[in-house]
Amino acid sequence: MFDYRPGSSPVHLLNPVTKLAVVVGLMVIVFLLPNLWGPALISVTMLGVAAVAGFLGSVVKLAALITGPLLVAVVLIQGVFYPGNETPLLTVGPVTFWEEGVSYGLLVFFRVLVVVCAVSIMVFSTHPKKMMVAFIDKGLSPKLAYVFMASLQFVPEMQRRARAIMEAQQARGLDLKANLWRRFQALLAMLIPLLTGALISAETRSLALEARGFSRGGTRNHLIEVPDRTSDRVIRWSVAAIVVLIAVWRIVL
Amino acid sequence: MSLIEIEDLTFSYASQHEPALRNLSCSIEQGSFVGITGLAEAGKSSFCRLISGYIPHFFHGEFSGSVSVAGTDTRETTIGELAERVGFVFENPFDQLTGASLTVLEEAAFALENMGLAREEIRLRAEKSLSQVGMEDLADRHPQQLSGGQSQRLALASILAVQPEIFILDEPTSQLDPLGVDEVFDVISDMHRRGYTVIVVSQDLDHLAIRADRLIVVDKGEIKWDGEPRKILLQAAEARYPILIPDVLEISRKLRAAGRISSDSPVPLTVEQAAKELSSIEERGSATETIAAGRTSRYLPDSRAERSKELVFQDVHYDYPTGVSAICGVSLRLDEGCVCIVGQNGAGKTTFAKHLNGLLRPTRGRVLVRAKDTREYRVAEIAREVGLAFQNPDDQLFRGTVEEEVRFGPENVGTAPEETKRLVTSAIDLMGLEAVREKKPHDLGLSERKRVATASVIAMNTPVVVLDEPTGGQDAEGIELLGHLVGQLVQQGKLVVVVTHDVRFAARHADRVIALHQGRVLLDDGPRPVFGRDETLARTHVEPPAVTRLGKLLGLDETLLSPGELLAVLAPE
Repeated sequence: MFDYRPGSSPVHLLNPVTKLAVVVGLMVIVFLLPNLWGPALISVTMLGVAAVAGFLGSVVKLAALITGPLLVAVVLIQGVFYPGNETPLLTVGPVTFWEEGVSYGLLVFFRVLVVVCAVSIMVFSTHPKKMMVAFIDKGLSPKLAYVFMASLQFVPEMQRRARAIMEAQQARGLDLKANLWRRFQALLAMLIPLLTGALISAETRSLALEARGFSRGGTRNHLIEVPDRTSDRVIRWSVAAIVVLIAVWRIVL
Repeated sequence: MSLIEIEDLTFSYASQHEPALRNLSCSIEQGSFVGITGLAEAGKSSFCRLISGYIPHFFHGEFSGSVSVAGTDTRETTIGELAERVGFVFENPFDQLTGASLTVLEEAAFALENMGLAREEIRLRAEKSLSQVGMEDLADRHPQQLSGGQSQRLALASILAVQPEIFILDEPTSQLDPLGVDEVFDVISDMHRRGYTVIVVSQDLDHLAIRADRLIVVDKGEIKWDGEPRKILLQAAEARYPILIPDVLEISRKLRAAGRISSDSPVPLTVEQAAKELSSIEERGSATETIAAGRTSRYLPDSRAERSKELVFQDVHYDYPTGVSAICGVSLRLDEGCVCIVGQNGAGKTTFAKHLNGLLRPTRGRVLVRAKDTREYRVAEIAREVGLAFQNPDDQLFRGTVEEEVRFGPENVGTAPEETKRLVTSAIDLMGLEAVREKKPHDLGLSERKRVATASVIAMNTPVVVLDEPTGGQDAEGIELLGHLVGQLVQQGKLVVVVTHDVRFAARHADRVIALHQGRVLLDDGPRPVFGRDETLARTHVEPPAVTRLGKLLGLDETLLSPGELLAVLAPE
């Protein structure tokens, strides 16, 4: 649910480094902005961007899942207990909601919403391999990039192996629902083969990588081309300029 | 000077006392196809690692003598540099992929990216190498969605892309189904024809001997025989050396010895060659009489109803959570003897096996294990009735010694200590593991580790034993042991279910063969009637054993299952 959705929208075509710069820029901006209107406006814009990219539904679903409970919790708690509460908004029985608290709660909510939307748009619109190639082009070590790519497949692979191990051990009579000592044994019976297996395949894999020139020096090239266009550079500089402007406004003025 | 020169080489791994290779000398010419075979742990893999420089650069130890590849001493270079001349394909089809590519094409391009070639050249070379292994249509597929055979071919393609002169394949097909084995061997032969130097380690001499132009038998770290495959196989057969001599060659050899055919022409290696040679024998005994005189199947379809009900499938359906149907309406009863389950990958064999002990429960219909409905019991409870040994031993071995490992099963099902001791000893005995009883399971080779896992299931002393691909990765001795084991268990009155691709094993040991196809029972009968229906079996990509095919080509009136039967027909005393 949190992975790449293929497409060819303008969002997909941006250089991944640009997308990361925008995400980081937005994080800084929403925390610098003093009231909820800025983050609210950016949230709406983000949803527009998601619509252009063609995965509005997925972003809304993910955002609702993560920020929905937050919205309820933060607005209720801040609405009642925020230290700066002065103006009553609504009284339900013995509980009073205050305007300052509710708007602060909403500010927190929109800040988080922007971050969630921005990150998910970046992940949904960026092929992981392209992201790595773009970072290598900007100077990231290819080995680190490999570790990142491999870790994407590591978790599902480990889950598959863990399932196979549990089945094999149960077939040898291992009872998962027995007393504590037995359960502790069950844990060992699962972890030891999982770890040894991981070590063995890591050894094979390191040889296989070595044999394919992974550790050789010199220049590398990539099958996938990740262009860095003028528009990318314009966007990155604009984001930087906006961040600086807002920072100056908030701190100096 | 030859392409590869090994001179008086002795090597011991740092972790072991005994040398893995002793005083080994060998030279390999450019463009040759060398097959390497021998028992497990004989030093076959070590031999390969020498040429690729993994010894001594990755596996350290005591090294004396010299190895040179294209005139360069391997000690003076690195694995990375050697990799441009020597490509290496490993046994496990999955572990050797980078695990960091999202498409097949990217995987094939990985080495080329590291070499820093131009983008267009990377693409062209990667695409070309994919087409050389017949995978151009799968270029956009995710590597984790490939079958074993496809993964192995992808591993080959990603090395082909580098364009090395020498290809080493260490047991490349031991974990594949027959279709995958054919796929991979065809690609290897093709590469040999293109002029590559090919070195293949394999136990599968039926496939290897016909393709290689030289066969080396490695024994205890030394070269025992080295020469033209036919000659070497004949020598090994004369010496009763435990390698898997192709049945057709063995039959021809015995008929020559008995003077039934003249021994001028080369011995046959394929069923077709053998049929051509043996058709000259005009005086034959009757196949029907031979069979009647020999061992008849213990499995008698007519008396099924009277047997004690062991395992009953009642209209069993199984759909995976993804919606894929793996079993569609199987009804049958398994009571005794050795039942072999055959069929292509994806036919539902493993899903079927997992229903036998409740690891999977039918989505429709029911499975009764000795009158217990699997839906109402935990797997651990059914494990007292049904022991299941899985294919991959590394998914289960976790204890300090072989003996403790074997004890794991009986301990779980609550066997009394005295009884456990007896069962463990007998299982270790049956699986030929006395010598390694106190060793760590992980220090053993794959075939022994596999036998340890099997022993731990046998020791549970369950009335039903299920073995999933027990012969995979085993050498001739291991297969012999397993055959003996099956016989012993059946004699003790147990029901033994064997899921297998090994039709030779099934023909020799099964009382009943069930062929599955797309989740349904295609054939279910004694081995003779089942293997006699080669056209029906072809639908699930199962080929009858070589002897059976040979008998059919000779136009015999009965289906034969063993070389002994064919010999009795062709050389009646």
